Amino acid sequence: MRNSRILSFILILTAIIIILPALVILLWTVTGRWPWPGLLPESYTLRTVEELLFGSSGLWKILKSSVILATAVAVLGTVIALMTARATEIYRIRGRKLISSASILPLIVPGTVFAMGIQVTLIRIHLNDTITGVIIVHLVAALPYCITIMMDMTAAVGSSLEEQAAVLGAKPLRGFLDVTLPQLLPGILSSASMAYIISYSQYFTTLMAGGGKVKTLALVMFPYIQSGDRALASIYAAVFVGSALIVFFVFEAIIHRIVRS
Amino acid sequence: MRRDKIVPVLLILPFLLVTTLVLIAIINILVQSLGYMPVFNLYDVTLRYYAETLRRPEVLQSIGVSLRVSIISSLAAAVCGTVICAALIKTGRTKGGMLYTVRLPILVPHTVVAVFTVALLSQTGLFARLAYALGIIVDYTEFPGILYGTGYAGVIIAYVWKESPFIAYFTIALMASVSSTLGEAAENLGASPLKSFINITLPLSLPAIARGLLIVFIFSFGGYELPMLLGATLPKALPVYTYIEFIKPEFKLRPYAMAMNGVTLLISLAMAVIYAIAMNRLLKKLGGDYEK
Repeated sequence: MRNSRILSFILILTAIIIILPALVILLWTVTGRWPWPGLLPESYTLRTVEELLFGSSGLWKILKSSVILATAVAVLGTVIALMTARATEIYRIRGRKLISSASILPLIVPGTVFAMGIQVTLIRIHLNDTITGVIIVHLVAALPYCITIMMDMTAAVGSSLEEQAAVLGAKPLRGFLDVTLPQLLPGILSSASMAYIISYSQYFTTLMAGGGKVKTLALVMFPYIQSGDRALASIYAAVFVGSALIVFFVFEAIIHRIVRS
Repeated sequence: MRRDKIVPVLLILPFLLVTTLVLIAIINILVQSLGYMPVFNLYDVTLRYYAETLRRPEVLQSIGVSLRVSIISSLAAAVCGTVICAALIKTGRTKGGMLYTVRLPILVPHTVVAVFTVALLSQTGLFARLAYALGIIVDYTEFPGILYGTGYAGVIIAYVWKESPFIAYFTIALMASVSSTLGEAAENLGASPLKSFINITLPLSLPAIARGLLIVFIFSFGGYELPMLLGATLPKALPVYTYIEFIKPEFKLRPYAMAMNGVTLLISLAMAVIYAIAMNRLLKKLGGDYEK
């Protein structure tokens, strides 16, 4: 009894530590003046928010390009992960152990090292400062997670139902699309949302591969944090986390619905 | 019959392409750090750049700072993450609101974590204001300089905030299954919940915890955003310093930057090897059939 009270206390404390900064940031977004040592702002204003959301800041354009980029990475990462998982778990391709070890390589090579290392090659194939180049480096960062999720899922679902469909005369692709794919859907969605979040969060790789020409939320908010402009940095942070949360919960809601039915 | 041979090869191709990119990046770093850059008429293969780089005190300090930050933050994240994970399982909150809350920091990018940290821990941040309101300090300069200091405390705290939930989430599936089977069996046989956790559930969950720890270590060791935004001017974290060397316009300096990348890479690889050896030992100790 006492134990579980301590554990509940730990969880509540954790939740407070997690949520408190977000609340402070939300407060900052509408702060006019917040001089030391006040615990709450002295005056509130919607001016900065309005300016950013409806002014000429180009926020919507940046948000749009961030979303397109992250969506591309989510789709590509999940499709490649699904293909890889099919090859290792269903077709039992030779060298499966090696493939699964190689898949975590991007987790062992730090993102900064990879980004600086690949730059010469991107320049050579004329993909530097392009959105394609950025998609490629984001893909490298996201793929290990996608592959882990899809391999587990594919192994769990197996291929027995697909084989039955084949026995009953279904073509291989039909069997996969109609029988196995629906069962894989929860895994596909969690892989996609993971890849989306990873791409959305990238700063250094975007800077290196995009050369500052491919603008994302992570990139444009960086100078505001450096210059200590708390109101603007906070609004960007709020937009950032808010839009990521929306995507995340949409994915979660769909997964829930599928799992239930 | 032939289809069965071609299809898996086609399926694996895109993965091989992406993996090749990583290998190319590694090769680029090794080749350039050894001084071979034909574009700039540098042909001599030499270890000179590594030797010179590793003799520079600023570089050694950077390596020290990065190691300190990543070791402290990843170990602390592993401990906090494990405690959070155990608390979630033991209180039966492996689904629903509390789990979603714990997952939140995973969704928050490092740039935003930096904004959070500044808002709370800077000398005019919320905690400093609370300390003033409680009469602990009378002026903001008395509040400890957690951010921008040579101790990198702000960076460490920010990493722990972000990575503890990652480790908890990474571990929860394995720990929940161990706890509900062997852990409860031990309790039924008379072990106290704490004893059963320490002797049964924790050791059997170690593979997941250690894997999470490795990922978090390498991530914080090679991370750029947090030390750049919250760290000291000097010494700089290794990736921050490397990037400064990397963007210098003199091409002759490029091999030095690449040697620093090479050092980062080698330390990361060494950690992965240590992890692999430790895991092998652990699995042997836990019994050969555990891996199944």
